[in-house]
Amino acid sequence: MMERAYNPTRILVALGIILALILADHLRSPTFAFNSGQGNVQTALSQRDESACAPCGAPCPSTRE
Amino acid sequence: MSNSAVLQPGIQPGWQIDRFIVTTALAGFALLGLLIWLETAPFMVALFAIGTVLGMALFHGAFGFTAGWRNLVVKKRGAGMRAQLLLFALSSLIMVPMLNSGQPGLIGNIAPVGTSLVVGSFLFGIGMQLGGGCGSGTLFTVGAGNIRMVVTLIFFIAGAVLGSINLPWWLDQPGFDPVPLVNTFGVSGAILVQFIGLGLIAWWVSRIERKAHGSVERDELLWKGQSHGPLRTLITGRWPFTWAILILAAGNALTLAIGGAPWSVTFAFNVWGAKALEVVGVNMSQFEFWTWDYPAMALKDSVLTNIPSVMNIGLLLGAMLAAGLANRFNEASRNRPEGRQFLAAVVGGLLLGYGARLGFGCNIGALFSGIASASLHAWIWFACAFAGSLIGIRLRPWFRLPN
Repeated sequence: MMERAYNPTRILVALGIILALILADHLRSPTFAFNSGQGNVQTALSQRDESACAPCGAPCPSTRE
Repeated sequence: MSNSAVLQPGIQPGWQIDRFIVTTALAGFALLGLLIWLETAPFMVALFAIGTVLGMALFHGAFGFTAGWRNLVVKKRGAGMRAQLLLFALSSLIMVPMLNSGQPGLIGNIAPVGTSLVVGSFLFGIGMQLGGGCGSGTLFTVGAGNIRMVVTLIFFIAGAVLGSINLPWWLDQPGFDPVPLVNTFGVSGAILVQFIGLGLIAWWVSRIERKAHGSVERDELLWKGQSHGPLRTLITGRWPFTWAILILAAGNALTLAIGGAPWSVTFAFNVWGAKALEVVGVNMSQFEFWTWDYPAMALKDSVLTNIPSVMNIGLLLGAMLAAGLANRFNEASRNRPEGRQFLAAVVGGLLLGYGARLGFGCNIGALFSGIASASLHAWIWFACAFAGSLIGIRLRPWFRLPN
């Protein structure tokens, strides 16, 4: 029989920290501001609608000579 | 019965899953899926789900690019490598016509060819073997609870941020603009040229295997699981390579159709690292990379709106779920790594991150999605990363890593 190779509490704490970081990041984002009713805010989704740019990190044609 | 292995009612004897891990992964998926649904857009939930399925496919299919390359070099076995080539061929066949169908809003992973690409992919290749995985490999092993790979991931992120700071300098070194093969050969011609290239590599791989063993193992063509029936194989693994190939190819094509660009992993690491530095007071906009439109907005906005980030989180949860279903969560960490193995994770992670940024991605973004976009840079990335990998394999024994 295999012994449990991990501590469930540590797993939950680690995932909880990750979730808290995601929430903290989201709550101070333009998208959250937009969703909260602030107009005239550019978000990643509105930028996506305006221009196609591959997320491979290569410079977009419009941003580097 | 062990603590972690709990027999489920209604499931055939001997079929054990890790209930805690499965429940936690499903709860995480539901919670984050709901958050993404409420705060972003429905298509982001779809991409999150695709990431989860891809994570399951990578884990259950044991689809590691790094091990496949090492098996060819060390054990002279080529099934893993041929499975990758089949994946590239199938994706090329599906995605090159999609990208050139004239449908607006679709863009391929096409990047410049030059010093940055050559150096970056070469460093990435060394890092793959020392760090123990590529971009997707690092993520799915972390999701499956591998402690050493958590160290690799942390330094992968650090290296990626460092690479983003240096990238503009590297781009000023000799090189030329992106080369879409479609511009030269047309859609059918580009697919044909890529098939010929992949076929030649497959022939070379098989020749090495036949020379060493007298025959070629065709594991990459198996359709049935080796030890269980189809349903149990589907849920607990291990999947035949063919299943993983189909899921990964379909996942990348769906990512393109829904997200507008092919699957990419490592850009998210840049964003995560840069956000962490901003939290501790570093102004990232002083660096040119972070003033470009796409990175600047990705840094400013929520990770939940960044496609690679959302898919990576899904991938982590998918691998966790698969590991729980296979009752193998944290399996790789049962033997604690020693000092030099941790050092390999640190050095490998830094090389992976720095190399991925300079090389415009990892095995997924630069190689898999690059070939699926018929971009010349993907082929150069392949050659240079493989050359770097040869050096990494030679360095592994010093770090007490088995070959």
